[in-house]
Parts: sequence; structure tokens; C-alpha cells
Amino acid sequence: MYSKREAVGSVTLAGDPLFGGGVDGAVVLIVLLKTGVAFAALMVSVLFMVWFERKVVSDMQNRIGPNRAGPWGTLQTLADGIKLFFKEDLLPEQADRRIFRLAPYLSIVPAFLAFAVVPLGGVITIAGRETRLQLADPPVGILFLLAMSSVAVYGVMLAGWSSGSKYPLLGSVRASAQMVSYEAALGLSMAAVVLVTGSLLTSDIVSEQSRSIVDWNLFRLGFLPFGIFLVAATAELNRPPFDLVEAEQELVGGFHTEYSSLRFALFFLAEFMSTVTMSAVMVTLFLGGPSGPGPDRGFPGAFLPVFWFLAKLMIFLFIYVWLRATLPRLRYDQLMDLGWKRLIPLSLFWLLVLAAMILDRRYGFAVFGAGILLGLLLLRAVQVGQSATDDAAGAAPAVREAG
Amino acid sequence: MSEYLPILTMLVLALVFAAGSFLASALLAPRKPTAAKSAPYECGIVPDKEPAERFPVRFYLVAMIFIIFDIEIIFLYPWAVIFRQLELFGLIEMVVFALAVFVSFIYLISNGALDWGPARRTLATTSLTPGRTTDSTVRRISRTGETIEAA
Repeated sequence: MYSKREAVGSVTLAGDPLFGGGVDGAVVLIVLLKTGVAFAALMVSVLFMVWFERKVVSDMQNRIGPNRAGPWGTLQTLADGIKLFFKEDLLPEQADRRIFRLAPYLSIVPAFLAFAVVPLGGVITIAGRETRLQLADPPVGILFLLAMSSVAVYGVMLAGWSSGSKYPLLGSVRASAQMVSYEAALGLSMAAVVLVTGSLLTSDIVSEQSRSIVDWNLFRLGFLPFGIFLVAATAELNRPPFDLVEAEQELVGGFHTEYSSLRFALFFLAEFMSTVTMSAVMVTLFLGGPSGPGPDRGFPGAFLPVFWFLAKLMIFLFIYVWLRATLPRLRYDQLMDLGWKRLIPLSLFWLLVLAAMILDRRYGFAVFGAGILLGLLLLRAVQVGQSATDDAAGAAPAVREAG
Repeated sequence: MSEYLPILTMLVLALVFAAGSFLASALLAPRKPTAAKSAPYECGIVPDKEPAERFPVRFYLVAMIFIIFDIEIIFLYPWAVIFRQLELFGLIEMVVFALAVFVSFIYLISNGALDWGPARRTLATTSLTPGRTTDSTVRRISRTGETIEAA
């Protein structure tokens, strides 16, 4: 048990082998090259994701979807993007100009940065230097991911608040309440992964799952943290069925109603990029990242792991599109109830059960039993809370009927 | 600290990309603002109220409860990393801590603090006045973009 800690400690110090021998010119060049490749890969994946979503949704609705620009309409997103460059950029007169201009940056930059810590494959050799197929491997990998998903809330909130208009303000207040609510559930289910891995490094989390398919955190943690993470991530991304932030029927376009031209394009880009990044994070945390379904044979080629990674990524991208085409939007109170009264208590409960199970099975069952009792207490509290709200509402006379 | 070098380069690249796009848009896009274009967008309805400066107190409650849970999560991460060394001591500590947070959470829930339910009372709508017709609420815009005053 203690030898494991030392092993983890040494990995923490090692990180990416690229930086083992200090930083010189060649290392900086490799870093620049990797950054450029990651940037290009992200942009292409966003272009693909937008096209994929439109195409799959239209297939599910018996439509054809984009089919003019490029083969099977694959260049449609690019054409739309170029069009937006030539559109007038409006600045509403009541807007807080500085913050209105700042908000798209706060949205797009975290979307780029979060992808940096996702491991895409094994170790490769460039110009005699070994490096991971992963842009950065900081010792605080998981915390960095959480931090970036928190910063993205600011982009949405400040965009709506600075617009000086009703609907963006309402959309952004909703958005920030929704995103912080589900961030708690997201953080708690991520903590379960950290608990069994004993490390915050994303590369450790992946290598810990690389032995065989039963070591994937999806199975090791008993499905529940994965399920909670999937739901919370969908809400965090403001994807359907949790897209109350931009509920067209109520809020026009939500927080970006007043944004036009390229500023809108950057919000759109950030949204889809976050979808790709969050799917990649889910693959990393729960599905073993770039490791294949069998035992790890030392990664024969650098690109087989990349293939596995992309295959798993596609599953989640498809799930997101599928959800959008299938499910109606939640009502706001259903959204908050699901986040606060179900997901957060459930993920905290499961985290403590997992911790107790690691020590001893008996402790595990004891915590499980105590948790069930506390869950019943919570159900009772929910009932009491609802009747308290109903009483308060009933005490006030219905004004419209009286008048 | 060299582990953070790629993150720094990515940050710079993302900022350059965003700033460059804005610059390109500023050079390429036309700029013909009119009063109607730069007014708050409400689907053609003339705004008759300022955007609300106050919003329901429940949003503040959510923010405060979130801070409590966020602090709990911040303590959970270092605990999760070294849990195997802490063993039973760590488990008991965290169960006690989680219970302390849970008790206050139960109190909040049973007070209806997180209860958003559909509003059962209807608010007086001051805007339902006889003078409020399509002439006064719908913005009509000429081809050149000027707002046409209602007759």
C-alpha cells in the first residue's frame, strides 16, 4: 500500500519525459509544434462536430441536412464561419462595452486550455526527444480541468450581464445558477476517480486503467460516478436537454442574444469546443483514455492508441447529438431539483461508500446503510420544503383573480 | 514549472486567435449602426421596462450553498489523493465533515430554500393597460433602418 504512494510520487515528479532534461531550444520547438497540432486538431474537431450534429439531427428528423459545400456538406461549417467574418458587428448602446468585448475571450480561452491536459496516446519520439501525445501534464491536471470549467461560467455570465438587455440577463442568471449547481456534482464524481487513482495527473489516471477493460473506471467505480458525470457534464455544457440558457421560446437566444458577427461565432465555437473537450475528459476519466479494450501491449504504434481514443470520443459526441434530437428541454425547477436534491447527495454518498470499500468491505456496507437512512431523511426534508413553499404561496392572495 | 509551458503557449495561441479574428472582422465587416439596430433586441417589441436590477433571492441562495459545497470539494481532492495513507482516520474525518455539511443541507432543503416549483400565485401585470396596443409595442422599421413612430 505504501509502495504505491511512492510510485505515484515519482510519477508526479517525472511528468512528461520531454521536460526531464531541462528546457532548451529543441524542447521549446517541440512544445510549439505540439501546441500548433493540438490547436489545429481542436479546430478541425469543432468543424467536424458542428457538421456531424447537423447531419445526424437531420437524419433523425428525416431531413437531408447540409449537402452543398464540399463532399456531403462537410465544409458547411467553414462556409458559415467565413460568412460571419463579413457580418456587421453590433455593439448595443446600453451595453457595458469593455465587459461586452471581454466575454467572448473568457468563453473561448478555457475551451482551448482544458483540452491541453487530455492524454491522446502513448509516448512518441520527435527529433530524438521522447514526449507524450498530450500537450501538457501538470501535477494538478484534474484541478486544472475543474478550474477551466469554472472560468467558462464567467464568459456566459458576463456576456449576459453586460448586454444591457432583458433576455440575455435572464439567460445568464439562469446559466450561472445552473452551471455552478452541476459543477458541484461534476467535482464530486471526479473526486471518485482521484480517490481510486491516488493522483491528480491525467496520465496516471489513464495508465492506471490501461491494464485491461475491467480496470476502466467505468466498471471499477460501479457506473454511478460515470452516470452522474455524464448528466452533470451535459448540464455544464448547456447542451439539450439542459439548454435552458438559450431556451428560444422564453429567452430569444439566451446570453448571446445581443452578440452578432464574429463575437457570436466565438461563443458558438467555444460551445462546441467544450463539448469535444468534455467528451475527451470523460474518455480519459472513465473509459481508459487511449488504451484499447485488451491488455496494454506497450503501444505498438503511436497511432493505434489515438484510434481507440477517437473511437471512444465519437461515442460521446454521438450521444450528445442523440440527446439533442430526442429529449425535450427540462423545466427550470426540474433542473435545479435534479442537480441539488439528487445528483449532489448521490455522488457524495457514493464517494464515501467507495472510500470505505477501499479500506474494508464491512466499513463499506456500514457507510452504505447509513447513507440509505440519510437518503430517506433527505426525501422527508424535500417533502417538508415543498409544503413550506406551498403554504407561503397559498397565503398570498391570487392578485389577478381578485382584480 | 516547465510542465506549464505548453499551457502558456496554448493560452497565447488562443488569445492571438481570438484577437486576430476580431481584427479581421473589424476590417472586413461593414459598420452601419442605426438606432433600431443598437437598441436592446426584443423581437421587434419596443422595450417598456429597463432590464431588472433585482432577481429572485433564490439565485443568491444557490450561490451561497454552492460556495459551501465547493469548499467541501476543495477539501475532498487532497483527501482523495492521500486517502490510502490516511486509512480509517481519513474515512472517519471525511464522514464527520460530510455529515456536518449534510445537516445544514437538510435544514436548507426542509426550509424550501432550493424549491423552485411553478409559481402558484399570479403577479399583478401593470403593463396590461388600455393604451398598450400593437401601435405602441411593435417597432416598425423603414427600409433604411430608421424607426417609424407609431401614428
